[in-house]
Order: sequence, then structure tokens, then C-alpha cells
Amino acid sequence: MTTDTAAPVRSAQLSLRRILPPIVTGQEIVLLAVLVVLWVVLGIFTPAFLTPGSIGPLLVQVAPIALIGVGMTFVIITAGIDVSVAAMIMVSAVTTARMLVAFDIPAILAVLVAVVIGSALGALNGLLIAYGRVHPIIITFGTANLFQWLGLRVFDSSTVNGIPSTLEFFGRGGAGSTFGVPHSFAIAVLAVAAAWWFLRYAKAGRNLYAIGGNQNAARLAGIKVQPRLVWVYVITGALAGLAACMVIATGTATLDQSVGSGKELQVIAAVVIGGTSILGGRGSVVGTLLGAILVQTVVSGVTQLGWPTQLGFLFVGIFILIAVGTDLIRERTRRRA
Amino acid sequence: MTATTTITPPEQRRGQAARARDWFASGGLKDRATLLLGLIVLLLVVMGILDGVGLTSGQFNSDYLASTLIAYVPLALLALAELFVITSGRGGIDLSVGSMVSLTGIVFAMLYQQAGLPLAIAVVLAVLFGALLGAINGFLTAYLGYPALITTLATFYAYRSIALVVSEQRPISGPEISQFYNAAKAVELPVIGGTLPLVPLGVFTFLLPVAIVAWFVLNRTSYGRKLYAIGTNDTAAQWAGIDTRRTRMMAYVTAGAIAGLVGVYTVAQFASARPDAGTSGSGMALPAITIAVLGGVAITGGIGRLSGILLAALLIVWLNASILLVVPGNEGAQAQLLALGLVLLGASLLSNATIRRRQRGLSKPLSVPGTAAGSTR
Repeated sequence: MTTDTAAPVRSAQLSLRRILPPIVTGQEIVLLAVLVVLWVVLGIFTPAFLTPGSIGPLLVQVAPIALIGVGMTFVIITAGIDVSVAAMIMVSAVTTARMLVAFDIPAILAVLVAVVIGSALGALNGLLIAYGRVHPIIITFGTANLFQWLGLRVFDSSTVNGIPSTLEFFGRGGAGSTFGVPHSFAIAVLAVAAAWWFLRYAKAGRNLYAIGGNQNAARLAGIKVQPRLVWVYVITGALAGLAACMVIATGTATLDQSVGSGKELQVIAAVVIGGTSILGGRGSVVGTLLGAILVQTVVSGVTQLGWPTQLGFLFVGIFILIAVGTDLIRERTRRRA
Repeated sequence: MTATTTITPPEQRRGQAARARDWFASGGLKDRATLLLGLIVLLLVVMGILDGVGLTSGQFNSDYLASTLIAYVPLALLALAELFVITSGRGGIDLSVGSMVSLTGIVFAMLYQQAGLPLAIAVVLAVLFGALLGAINGFLTAYLGYPALITTLATFYAYRSIALVVSEQRPISGPEISQFYNAAKAVELPVIGGTLPLVPLGVFTFLLPVAIVAWFVLNRTSYGRKLYAIGTNDTAAQWAGIDTRRTRMMAYVTAGAIAGLVGVYTVAQFASARPDAGTSGSGMALPAITIAVLGGVAITGGIGRLSGILLAALLIVWLNASILLVVPGNEGAQAQLLALGLVLLGASLLSNATIRRRQRGLSKPLSVPGTAAGSTR
């Protein structure tokens, strides 16, 4: 994590290193410190908190948020936003669940179905945003309604019952983890690692920052803005599909119509707490992962302290303001210096 | 003499043709009210025909349309709140209106039912409380420089959480509040009421006064001009001597006060104060923003009119009501989502296309190369 592996010293690489931000940004260090303090405090007040029986389920719940958070970080870096992810989870989850019930398809096929559906919905978002040139928040508000209708049509009756435990690989139970590490969380970490490399060293990844910084400048610099934007939303959709599998796996054998509801705001909260600028052009997926863990820690911690569950979201709101506030202050001092 | 008479008619004709072309070209945004009015008339005609043929499951008549206005009041009011905030520019948006509705509803019920304050004082205090919640949004956004999306996402969580915790997740009801239900139910208008359908009282006690005041503020006061100015160009407005931060903050305060009023209204509508009144399901903020955009409010700020809001909300409410008659039961409620999504996407894509066509066609020498809206390859 701390070693730079750029072995062949070429001029291009040198200039690249000058442009790239430090490997770990200030926001991530702050987040990590807050997280450690929070875990220690929770560990002192509720001895059950720092046990594998408590941390494991917490990480399982973090996984879908962090996973979609990767896509959402891409989207927000390009100065966009996607409020339709909750509806995308719903469509993917209900379709996959019904196929599991009706045809008893194997796990790998179920994941494939969910990811393909998510990608298709994401592609619709991307095409409308890139070529319709309407603000992403409006497009995704609109498509969220369409997706919700689609999902409810697939639901047909009120719930999907008797879902087999085909997807237990992602679940909370014993089959869902290896050596105490939940598979779903491991997948989320892998996705974050891949995205971290992609955003930092791949040309297409750097292009996303350019698009977010100034779309017209990016276009004049020869970046194919529209195709890049489409892909960003497709990736978000695909990850929402994969996250839907995790949601099915962690739930009961019954899937109800509220599946996914509210997830879009949780994901956006994780991304902005992680230091990604909502204005575009700046952000990191490592911060998003830490942000997702922080949000879930706060929500779970409040419950474990015996406070009203709903109080957790007050702290989530406060954390959003603190995280973005420190980022604003740092940005202001950087500009002054 | 003859020369002038022979020259003027073609010029006049061309002028009229050009004006007609302009009118069509700008049909998306400038004359959004006309477009929406046309859609409403189209909806009524189509539904009238369907009703005549007998394809509807219920009576489609003026009484039915008037009775659906009970849902029109909160929708139109919250869209109006979004108009103020979005028009103030710099990414202005308010995701927290639904939470503010829930929280002020609870506060109102506590003041009126549990503390036993007189109705008028309780309403005023609830609206002031809404304004205070809006002031928190406004202070963070306008003075501390938080992006509005972040501020209102955070306060969405915070206010919703406080509403649920304070009420212990139980609705507040009682004899006083049950009585207060009369404020929302349908009434017969005095004098001319006999010939007209029963209109929900909320339209006159809540929506109409707010709409008149909002129209006056937006169009006839210097505050309205300042609001449009900071939304159009923040820097230019600052150089013109406008206190942009104060003006922007007041937009959020207004939105909070309107949300507070809607909070009181929902208490009357449901005859109890529900802690999740504005946040259950997908919440009230998303439909409000949708209607504002449909009503021609530019998400980039500086553009937006009251007429568009009122007509867009009316279109959506009547469209929803019509769908329930044509598609019965659960499927009808689902089809409403489809209709809302399609109308929003259609309207925003259409209006964006017309803006771009206008910029390309009419103001070529004026257009700055590489401006955001006029970016064509």
C-alpha cells in the first residue's frame, strides 16, 4: 500500500507521478482514525461489539453498500449521480429470486442473471445521460420510477416466497465465509482494489477525473466523453446487480417489495463521507469503503448500545456534515496556500 | 406608397412564421405552461372518450377530479418549495423536504394536541419551526459552502431520525386532531357552490394563499429578482451588489416554512401526525423535485415559474387519478410510477433538445464556444 511500484523511470511516468495525488489522502487517514476510535469506544461500552460474532455480520452488511459505492464513486467523479440504484437492486433481486424459485438455477447462473439485468438498466441510464445531455439527477429520478414499476410487475403478487439457499455463498451463515472473512465483504474489497488501480493508473480511469473536472476541456483533449459516461453507469448497474445477490443471500426465504429501498442514499452517504467531491473531479474508492464501514458501524453501534435504532441515522447525517466539512476546510486552506 | 405596401406583407408574414417557429422551438421551457395545459386538456379529452365508451371502472367526472385535489395540495406546495431552492442556483436542491414534513407534523401535533395550544398559534409555531429547519439547510449551504445535495442529504437523515425518535415511532392522534380533519375535507363553495363540484377546503386554506404570496414575491418584489439573479449567475449577481448568501439562505428558509405548512396539512389529511408522513416509501422529496422539473424549473438555476409548478402538479395528480380508473387495483398504482417516469424523462429530454436547437439556431454569434449547454461536437 505504501510502496510505489513504478520501476521503469520514464519521463511520462515521472510527470504522471507529479499529477497523481498521494497514495493515501488526508480524508482517508481521518476516516481510519475516526473508525478506530469508534470501534474502541463501542468495544468498551458493549463488550459484545468487538467479537467475530458481531463484526462478521457487520461486514456482510457493509458489502453491498461498498460494492455499489465503487460504481457510485466513478459516477460522482464524473460529476454525475445515480439515484436509481435502489430500484436497480429491486429489479435484479426480484427477477433473480423468481428464477431461483421457478427453475432452481445454479448460483453462478443466478449471479449472471442479476449482473446482466443490472448492466442493462445501467446502460439505459448511461445512454440517456450521455446522449440526452440532461442532468443525471433528473434522468435517474425518472428511470428510478420506471425501474420500480418494472420490479413491481415482476413481483406480480406481494412477495416472492420459498427462495432456495442457492446463494448462501454470499450469506451470513457458515457457508458465507472462509476463515471468518465473509465472502461478500472479500468481493467488495477486491472490487475496491481493482477500482483503486483502475482510477489511479489506467488511462480510462484518469479520463473519468478529467470528465468530472471539466467536461468540455476533456472533450477538447480528445477524451471520448460519451462512451466513457455510458460505461460508468453500466458498471454501477452491474455492481448493483451483484449487490442484489448479496441482498437475497442475507435475507430470509421471502423477498418483499421494499427490497433495496433507501439504499441509494446510503450509498451516496458512504461515497461523500469517503471524501469524493459531489462536484466531480476528485475522489477515491478506498474512502468509499471506509465510509461504508463507518455508516454501518454507526447504525449497528447505536442498536447495540440499546438506543433507538432510528437515532443511528441522525449520527449518519452528522457524520456526512463533519466529513464534508473537514474536506471543505482542507480544500480552502490548500487553495490559499 | 405602393412600394411600402408591397414590401410589408411578406415581411409581416415572415415575422409571424418566425414567431411561430420560435414559439415551437422554445415550447419546452419558455411556454412550458402552454405545453402542460395542452397535456392536461389531452388527458381530459382521452379520459372523456374512454369514459363515454365505458372502459373506465368508475365515473370520470368533475366530482372525481375535484376530490383528487386533496392529494394536489401537498404535492404542489412541496414542488413550490423546490422551485425556490432549485432556482437559487449553485446546484440548489432540497432532499430534506419530506423529513421536514414529518418532523413539523409531529411538532404541530405535540403543540396542538399534547400542549393544548390554540390552533392558530400551533400552526404559526409549526411553520416557524419548519423555517428554522430550512434555515439550518440554508446556513450550511449559503454561508458555509456545503453543496446543497450534501446538506440536504444529511438533514434528510437527521430530521427523519429526530421525528421517529421523538414520537417513539407512534402516530400522534386525539380528539383535537380528529376535529382538525375538517380543514382538509371537501366543502361546497358559498354563493356559487351549488353548481360546482365539492373542492377540498385545503385548496383554499393552504394552497391558494401560499401561491398568491409566492407569485407576488417571485414576480413583484426585489427579493424575487435577486433570487433569479443569483440563480442565473452568482458572480455577476455579487458584482451587482446583491447579498447572494443571504438571498440563497432565504430560499431554503422559504422551502422549510412551506414544508412546515405541508406538515400541518398532512396532519389534517390523515387525522393524525405520522412520524413517517413525508418519508415513507420513496418519500415526498422525489415527487416534488420531479414535478418542479416537469414544471419547467431548470436544475441549473435561474429559471422557473409558479404557473409551471401548479400545472405540472395538476397534470400528475389527474394522470394518477385517471390511471386508477383505467387500470384497476394494484396494477394501477404501479402504472402511476411508469407514467411519472415517462413524463419526467420525456419532458426533460424534450426541453433540453429545444434549448440546444435554439442556441444553435438563433444566437450563433453570441454563443461562447464550449459552454455547457451548447456543447456539440
